[in-house]
Amino acid sequence: MTRLAIQGMGVLGGFGCGVVELQARLAGRAADPTELVVPVAGEELLLAAHQADTTSLERFLTKRQTRRIDHFSRMALLGAYLALEDAGALEAPRDRMGVVIATGYGPTRTTFSFLDSVLGDGDAFASPTHFSNSVHNAAAAHVAIQLQAAGPSLTVSQFEMSVASALLTARQWLAAGRVDSILFGAVDEVCAVLGYCWESYFPGSGGPIEPFALDRQTAVPGEGAAFFLLTREKEARYGHISKVDQGRVRKGSFSGGTWLLNADGHRACSASYPDLLTGSAAVAACTPHFGSLPVGQAFDLAVAALAVRDGRLPVISGPDDLPGDWRPAGGQALEEPVTCLKCDGDGRFGLIEVERS
Amino acid sequence: MSRQRPVAVTGAGCLCAAGPDLDACLATLFAGRRSPQPPQRFSTGHPVRYPVFEVPEEFFPDSVPADPELLRTARLAIAASAEALADAGWQPALLRELRVGVIVGTTVGSAMNNEDFYRDYRSGGRPGMAPIRRFLRGNPAAAVARYFDLSGPVQTVVNACSSGTDAVGIAAQWLRDGLCDLVLAGGADELCRTTCNGFTSLMITDSEPVRPFDRNRRGLNLGEGAGILVLESDELIGQRPGRSRASVVGYGGACDAHHLTAPHPDGAGLKRALREALAACGGSAADIAFVNAHGTGTPDNDRVESRTLAEVLPGVPFLSTKGFTGHTLGAAGGIEAALTLACLELGRIPASIGFAEADPELPATPVREMTTTPGRLALSQSLAFGGNNAVIVFEKGERS
Repeated sequence: MTRLAIQGMGVLGGFGCGVVELQARLAGRAADPTELVVPVAGEELLLAAHQADTTSLERFLTKRQTRRIDHFSRMALLGAYLALEDAGALEAPRDRMGVVIATGYGPTRTTFSFLDSVLGDGDAFASPTHFSNSVHNAAAAHVAIQLQAAGPSLTVSQFEMSVASALLTARQWLAAGRVDSILFGAVDEVCAVLGYCWESYFPGSGGPIEPFALDRQTAVPGEGAAFFLLTREKEARYGHISKVDQGRVRKGSFSGGTWLLNADGHRACSASYPDLLTGSAAVAACTPHFGSLPVGQAFDLAVAALAVRDGRLPVISGPDDLPGDWRPAGGQALEEPVTCLKCDGDGRFGLIEVERS
Repeated sequence: MSRQRPVAVTGAGCLCAAGPDLDACLATLFAGRRSPQPPQRFSTGHPVRYPVFEVPEEFFPDSVPADPELLRTARLAIAASAEALADAGWQPALLRELRVGVIVGTTVGSAMNNEDFYRDYRSGGRPGMAPIRRFLRGNPAAAVARYFDLSGPVQTVVNACSSGTDAVGIAAQWLRDGLCDLVLAGGADELCRTTCNGFTSLMITDSEPVRPFDRNRRGLNLGEGAGILVLESDELIGQRPGRSRASVVGYGGACDAHHLTAPHPDGAGLKRALREALAACGGSAADIAFVNAHGTGTPDNDRVESRTLAEVLPGVPFLSTKGFTGHTLGAAGGIEAALTLACLELGRIPASIGFAEADPELPATPVREMTTTPGRLALSQSLAFGGNNAVIVFEKGERS
C-alpha cells in the first residue's frame, strides 16, 4: 500500500496543547482530569473529564475570525494549525490539499444549543447559526475556509471506528494522486448531555483509567483534537503509516509485535483486546493521558509517531502483571512497527500501523 | 488526475417518497407525479406548513419492519440495501464468504438530537437511555453491516448533502484498491423536526412544491429515503459476467473553501469536481447523455449550478430529480445515483418537474419534457453545506 508520511502533528486535549506538551506529559504522570458540570434534575453533578483548552487558537486567528465558531470547530482548527506549524508548512500552498476529519459524535454542544433555541423560544426562533454549525462537517468546512484548502473534503462519523475508517479513504486519496497532501484530523468533545448519559450508563465510575483492568469500568471521558499533515513522500518527520485496516474481532487474529492499545477503561470494549491479540505481544496504553473518547485512536497515532521517531514508547505506570502473555512495551528498545489498535463494543476493530521511514 | 478504472455496479435499490423501490420511483418520475405535503409524523410551530416528501409506512418491505431499537434512517438504508442486493442477484448468506464493505452517507443518522429526550433533560427530568441506545445502534453503515452480517470496513460519510455521492465515489476507490470484494454504497436520511426547523431558520424552504431552476423558485422541500448501489471488484464481476448495470467511471470532489452554507458564487469547487470526474473517465461534454443536477430549488444553488453547467457542459440536457423526491440530504446522492443509473439504462430522462418559467439569470435550464438521451455516460452531482462538491460519472453496463 502507499505509505503515508507523517510530516506534522497538532494535538490538544486534557494533557495540554501541542506535541511538546503531549510528550512532556507522556514522560510523567497523567494530568488530573478537570470537572465537567452536568446539570441533572435541578442539581449539578461534577464529572471528571479530560477537557481541552483552545485559547492558543488566538496565535493563528483573530477573535473576529472565530467569533461564530464553536468549541468543536475551534479544537479542529487549532489542531490543524498546530499540525501545519509543526510541519513548517503554514505558508505552503494548499490548493491541492484534502481535508479528512473523523469524529465519533460530532459537535454535540452546538447540536443541543440548537435544540435550546427551539425548545426555549419556539420553532420560529430556531438559531440558523447553531444549525449550520451543528452539521457534522462544519469543522472540516471551517478548516478548509480558514486555510483555503481547496482539495476534496471528507468527514466520517463511525463512533470508535471513525479514525481507522477515515484514514482508509485518506490513504486512497493520496495513493490515487487526487491530492498532494492531506490534513487528517480527529475531534470529539464532551458536553453536559454526554455527562448525563455517562452517569446513567456508568454510575459511580470516576476513574482514573486503568487500561489493563479489562474487567472493570474505569473510563474517564475526554475531548480534544489530533491532526496530522500526511503526504506521499519517502522522507517523513515522524515515520510512516504503513497499514490501515478495519474488521470484525476474531479470536487470535494477531500475535507478537508492538501494540498501542486504545484500552480506555470501557469494560464493554476491553474484552476484545485479549481476544484479538494473543501471544507474547509488547503492549502499552496511553489513554490515561487523554481520556476515553471515540477518536482516541488518533492520539495513539500521535504517540506511535513520536515513538518511532524517538525509538521507544513511553513508560506507562500500571500493573506489573499484564493480561495473558503480554509484556510492557514502554521504555524498551522499540520493535517496529507500532500498531495502534482500537476495539468497539460492537465486535469491530480498527488498526493503524506506524513504522520508521 | 489520471484515468480511473471502471467499477461495476450490479444492483441498485431506492426507497423514497417517489416509490417503494427503484422501478416504482422511475414510474413516478416518468408519469410526472409528486405529492409533497406537510409532515405526517410530526408537526412544527411555523405559521406556514412547509411541504415535505415523506415515505409512507407501507413503502417499507415486510422484511424490514419498524424496530424501536433502530433509527428510521438505518431502517431506510437496510431496506434499500436489501433491494440492491436482490437486484444484483446476491443472497445475503453468500456475502459472508466475501470481504464486503459498507459506505453510507447521512446527516440525521449521525446526529444525537432526540428532541423528546433533550426536552425532558433540560426541564430537570431524568430521561431514559432508549433514544441514546437507538442512536448508538443507528449508525447507518454499521447498522447495514450488522443486519447483513458483513465483516468488511464500514464508513458513514457525513459530508452533509454530498454524502451519498461521495459514498459511491469512495466505494469505487475501495474496490480499485482491493480493499473489498463488494461494497454497498449510497445514502440514507430520515425527516425529522430538528432538520425541518434548521432549514426553515435558514429561510431556504419553499411553502410550495419545490421548483428547481424555475424563475419563481423559493427554496427546497425536505424529503427522506435511501438509495444504495452494489459495486463489485473486477475479480468478482469476472465470475458473474453479464451482471453489470453500469460502471462508476469517474469521481471528483473539491471544497469551495468559501462559506459554511453558501456555494461559491462562481462555482469554483463544483468546476474542479466536474473537471476531476471528467478527466477520470476521459469524457467530454459530447459524451455525457445527461446530468442529474443537485437542483435544490434554492436561489443560490440553482444559479451557481446553472452557470457552471453552461460553462463546463454546454448543451448537455439536465434535470433535478429533487422535484420528485424532495431534498433528502445525506440520502440525496445515493437516490440520485440510482435514478441516474436507471435513466441511463432507459436512454431517456423525465421532464424536470417544478420547472415552468425560465430565469433570465440562469444560462442553462433543465428539460421541460421527457427527453431521449443517447450517449454512454451520465453524471450526477451534489453540492453541500461546508462547500463540498461531489460528482460521479456512470457508464452504461451490460444489462442496458
